[in-house]
Amino acid sequence: MSETPLHTDHLNRSSDSRTDYSFEELLDDGQYAEPLIANGVRCHGGFDEDGRYRSPRTRHRLPAIATWQAALQESGGELLEISKALIPPQYPNVDQAILLCRHGVRDPVVRALTVISVVEGFGAVIRDVKLPDFDRSLVEPIEGTALAHLGQGLFEAHARDEAGWGEQGGHKQMWEAARDLAFENPKIPQDVLMRIMGGGGRRARKRERLFPQIDETLESMIMMLSNVLLVEIFAEQVFSWGHAVLSNPEISAEPDRASAMVSYIQSDENPHVEYLRVALSELAGRTIRTVDDKTLPGREVVFGMLHALLSQMTRTRPEEQKDQAQESLHAALQGLENRQSIEEEFRSLETVWAPPATTGFEPLSAEL
Amino acid sequence: MKWPTLAWRTWRVARTGVFIWGLYKWPSAWQAWGEGDSTHRDRVHERAAQAVLDCALEMRGVIIKTCQAIATRSDVFPKPFVEVLKQCHDSVPACDFTVVRQVVEEELGKPLDTLFAEFDREPLASASLAQVHRARLLDGREVAVKVQYPGLEDLVGLDLTNVQLACRIYEYFDPQPIALLPLLKEITDHLEMELDFTREADNADRVREIFGEGEGVVVPKIYREWSSRRVLTMELVEGIKITDATALEAAGLDLELVVQDLMQIFVRMIFAAGFFQADPHPGNLMVQPNRDTVVLDYGLCKQLPDGFGMGLFELLFSMMTVNESAMVRAFTELGFQTADGDTDVLLMIARRMIGRSDTGRFEGEFTEEMTDELFEAIRENPLVDVPTDFVLVGRVFTFLSGIAHTLGHRANVLAAMGAGA
Ligand SMILES: Nc1ncnc2c1ncn2[C@@H]1O[C@H](COP(=O)(O)OP(=O)(O)OP(=O)(O)O)[C@@H](O)[C@H]1O
Ligand SMILES: [Fe+2]
Ligand SMILES: [Fe+2]
Repeated sequence: MSETPLHTDHLNRSSDSRTDYSFEELLDDGQYAEPLIANGVRCHGGFDEDGRYRSPRTRHRLPAIATWQAALQESGGELLEISKALIPPQYPNVDQAILLCRHGVRDPVVRALTVISVVEGFGAVIRDVKLPDFDRSLVEPIEGTALAHLGQGLFEAHARDEAGWGEQGGHKQMWEAARDLAFENPKIPQDVLMRIMGGGGRRARKRERLFPQIDETLESMIMMLSNVLLVEIFAEQVFSWGHAVLSNPEISAEPDRASAMVSYIQSDENPHVEYLRVALSELAGRTIRTVDDKTLPGREVVFGMLHALLSQMTRTRPEEQKDQAQESLHAALQGLENRQSIEEEFRSLETVWAPPATTGFEPLSAEL
Repeated sequence: MKWPTLAWRTWRVARTGVFIWGLYKWPSAWQAWGEGDSTHRDRVHERAAQAVLDCALEMRGVIIKTCQAIATRSDVFPKPFVEVLKQCHDSVPACDFTVVRQVVEEELGKPLDTLFAEFDREPLASASLAQVHRARLLDGREVAVKVQYPGLEDLVGLDLTNVQLACRIYEYFDPQPIALLPLLKEITDHLEMELDFTREADNADRVREIFGEGEGVVVPKIYREWSSRRVLTMELVEGIKITDATALEAAGLDLELVVQDLMQIFVRMIFAAGFFQADPHPGNLMVQPNRDTVVLDYGLCKQLPDGFGMGLFELLFSMMTVNESAMVRAFTELGFQTADGDTDVLLMIARRMIGRSDTGRFEGEFTEEMTDELFEAIRENPLVDVPTDFVLVGRVFTFLSGIAHTLGHRANVLAAMGAGA
């Protein structure tokens, strides 16, 4: 992550360095000169007089996050960083996707874009995350922090950004629009939900308790924040992939408008990454009171979770994604005359990737 | 068919018809109706329903199936009527063993003791069309044998005529008659499917294929050699009844996970596979001590048309995000139709349904109250054409919600879908 965590250049931060915001303020859009209409669907966000895209619900949310981040660092806290080297590549990669489309095989790409839109929509579950009793489970107070505002508008704004709210579409509808612009309202493969929910061996499981000595609600909240943060950061690969594919005039009917949509989505994700980062950092800098009234450094818990999640996500996830994509490729090529040569070329374009040896969040004992 | 049977069955239905006719015709009843005294009207409905139920329990077959179908269509029938008829799910008396033996031998073409090493005389359960006996194959495997009551197929035609007659009587006397005959057609279609056990066997095999090994779903294996159109022999499975919270907990099971498993199983069938067991009443569901979920009874399974799962997902999603134009689009996609294409009715229905959720917001669960409200709204706006598939799926969600509530949890459909995402 960069040293300047948040792009607030267009905001006049000094005029507003409050650390407390109301729910309504954190959901406030401010004024747009023009709304965002994506393929005929009204979406969130809009454009200012200069024609620049402005993300939704950021009038106070952006300066607030910047202030919380600054406050954390001014008080000697550390803003945690996730190394970009940990982000696995998208599969099929850009060249592979273009190869397929060039041969008229668009299903795998249309499917991938649809899956992305549905998964974005499920991002709305963030609003159902239960909050712990912070006074009870943390030694230090949380007034004026991002943590104190999670249930005060940050989760709700995030949920609405992803799934849309009322007549305004969110990322779900924006990805759909990008797909429909580029591929001219393609037929949606029937097995999208199967892909999302399928994948054998899934059954409800109580999440394994990594830190049974702390309050269960606190633990699952930290787990959820960490998980979503990583998903948001890993999405960077999805954006650059989507941008490259959708802006390619050879396969996209609307290269400019379709890829612009991806850029808008990407800029909306920025506050998500940053509020989650600062909230987790605030937790890491505090002391957790365990259920048996002992204490535990927050860092141990936050880093422990990030390490566990990163190890899992960088190893098994890319493999799963690859298996699924290959399956759908196989089905799409069925019956094509030149399928063998396409398959060969497809394989030759494979990105070689291996996860780095460390996550950067190894337990302290391992660091020594 | 012997004419006494014929005459008796006709007479029995006619008697019930006349009784109901009297009930509704009774001046005080009409008067109360006119004045809109709802408690009195409810009582009339209840008594009428009780008469129908008594008749059905005695006659089984089509009549009982019709009642079961009525009990699931609160979008069409008055609520008090439906409530009484729900009882026909668990109070069917068993048939004599000599009759059972005769059916098995006729169907499988051999004497019972050359087919089975043991065969319990007392049934494990008796239902509308069949009763189930525990037995043992010659090689020692324990099985459950589902035996159809004799003569059902022959009776279908006759009973149908009788029910049709009853429908006509009803339509004649109700000031706002419900179009019963198309409904009856649907019921007979389903009934014909359910009467053919080879079809049920195919359904079971198909559902089993949706789930892999180790995914925690038990679909009893079918023993085709000992099965036919009217006898279905399957692996005997055991488990704790899914609504028996005390027993589940005593077995060390976490009720929340039991509910989540159940939700994921049905969400997977409906949204992902597009083929589902459409009758998850608590009698058809059990949980094993290792938390595997047993799903029984594949008599009523349904193949959803292409795109239905996605349409349903979009409906739930638009309700969650209160996006009304998307709700209307999804309703239309699912096959809802209004007489003059006026979509305001659909919106009104969606709003009423959302308004009945516990929080006033739709969070992904179809509670019984919400489904009731949905059907109530549809009934009050008969210009809406409701796709049968939607009714069946709605019914499944209502069953699941009821089970979840019994176990002290919620049946959030969107959450169950999201768990895999
Ligand atoms: N394989 C089996 N192993 C153990 N018990 C079984 C099995 N199959 C059925 N049963 C028992 O028999 C009962 C009735 O079976 P089933 O539900 O298949 O009949 P049905 O006539 O379709 O009933 P209904 O339609 O009223 O639910 C079940 O509720 C269950 O208790
Ligand atoms: Fe998003
Ligand atoms: Fe996001």
